[in-house]
Amino acid sequence: MRLIFKNLNVLRSTINAISTSIEIKEIVESAVNNLPHLFDFSSFGMFWKEDLLLFLYQEESCPLSFAQEVVKNMVKFFSILGEESIDVERISVQAEKRKLRPGQMMMDPKATLKSRLTLPLAVEGEILGCISLNSDQPNAFDAQDLQFLSVIGYQMAATLKHFQRFSSIKNIAIYDTLTGLFNRRYFEERLGIEAQKSFYGGTPLSLVMVDIDLFKKVNDTFGHTEGDQVLCKISSLLKGSVRKKDTVARYGGEEFILILPGAGLEESFVIAERIRRLVENTVFEVGRAQVNLTLSMGISNFPSHRAKSKEELVKMADQALYDAKRGGRNKVCIFAGKSAQWTVG
Amino acid sequence: MAPPVKDERAGKWPSDFILDLYSNLLTEMWELVSALVGEAILAYLFTLAIRKIGEKYSFLNSIKVSEDGVSMEEMRQDYRTLSPVEIHRGFQGLINHLSQLFSALAEGVINKELFPRVFPKFKEAERIISQK
Repeated sequence: MRLIFKNLNVLRSTINAISTSIEIKEIVESAVNNLPHLFDFSSFGMFWKEDLLLFLYQEESCPLSFAQEVVKNMVKFFSILGEESIDVERISVQAEKRKLRPGQMMMDPKATLKSRLTLPLAVEGEILGCISLNSDQPNAFDAQDLQFLSVIGYQMAATLKHFQRFSSIKNIAIYDTLTGLFNRRYFEERLGIEAQKSFYGGTPLSLVMVDIDLFKKVNDTFGHTEGDQVLCKISSLLKGSVRKKDTVARYGGEEFILILPGAGLEESFVIAERIRRLVENTVFEVGRAQVNLTLSMGISNFPSHRAKSKEELVKMADQALYDAKRGGRNKVCIFAGKSAQWTVG
Repeated sequence: MAPPVKDERAGKWPSDFILDLYSNLLTEMWELVSALVGEAILAYLFTLAIRKIGEKYSFLNSIKVSEDGVSMEEMRQDYRTLSPVEIHRGFQGLINHLSQLFSALAEGVINKELFPRVFPKFKEAERIISQK
């Protein structure tokens, strides 16, 4: 009786830890930290369908072949449940070794999977993934283990569902629905953070304002659906041309903006010029036609341009863009006070 | 095959006896397995199994599954004239498929509890059919 109370207390604290977690990794960690107090097992896995991600926690002495068997079994199980086959090669496995068993209990290097409990993470009629408790011992689990694991699984599923909803709301709030780039709102927020870092830390920060030249013609000639596809294509070129730490956002209409933290004038000019040339040399399939497009760009930089606020930095990039347009388009212009410095494309 | 005849003394159609038997068995299974894996998982597994076996025995598609359990009321109204053998085979297929899913979940842990209850009911159904 005392053992049941002890287990129920562990179960209660496990559920509590899971329900207060807010990130997927944290949810799995909350479970796995408590599982050794409830079960005798060699490995625990959680498969998250949305990202094809499998978190695998194994006993320190667990052989690789055992882990591979567990992964294969979980994928097979999920395929039975989801009625769709999942290619094991597409799954990203995050494996970690831990002390899951008490004392000196070592696993045989040739150990194979002898017992398992696998449960779907089911909530509101939807399967989000599955969890699996595995052992190298035969008949390692009984009905009570299954009951306990199902309670843990249910709480994990409910918390993961909250996480999923929260992520989707967060995505709507920060991404542009057409291009998948960050939206203007996120740009403002990100710029605030980067500007603060630069203004107080003295590190350089560049902004590149980008506009597609004569884009109205594309919409007027081919229609808005085709125009939208051009916006998506250019967005993907922009995204693929910057560094990992840079931010690319849709500023509005056919205007985009890049935040380049740590980039001085020279470096930001090199990046902008590379993008300008890339777009200039790309042939866009618009309907049945092939079209060439160009970009105009304006650069502002901290500390070179002595901007005192993020708003001022944006205005400077906008002014430089205006100068690039006035100078004949297909140009990268650097803000230079009243007169801009520009390069001929 | 001759059309089914109503048993006047019991006031039941032949299929009603088999439906009663399987209705009780599914309720019993629900109570037992939901205590082990929870209602959400079990409702999903029942839905999955009904969809699969319902491809061959379409009358099974009228079983209603929710987290509160399984209901066969609609089936009683619409499938009274089905032959008892057909109903028996459909439910046998459904229960066998559920057992396979339980086995995929927890190897023998669920089926160990379940089989002693299921097999006598299968035998009972066969006995009813052979008498008719």
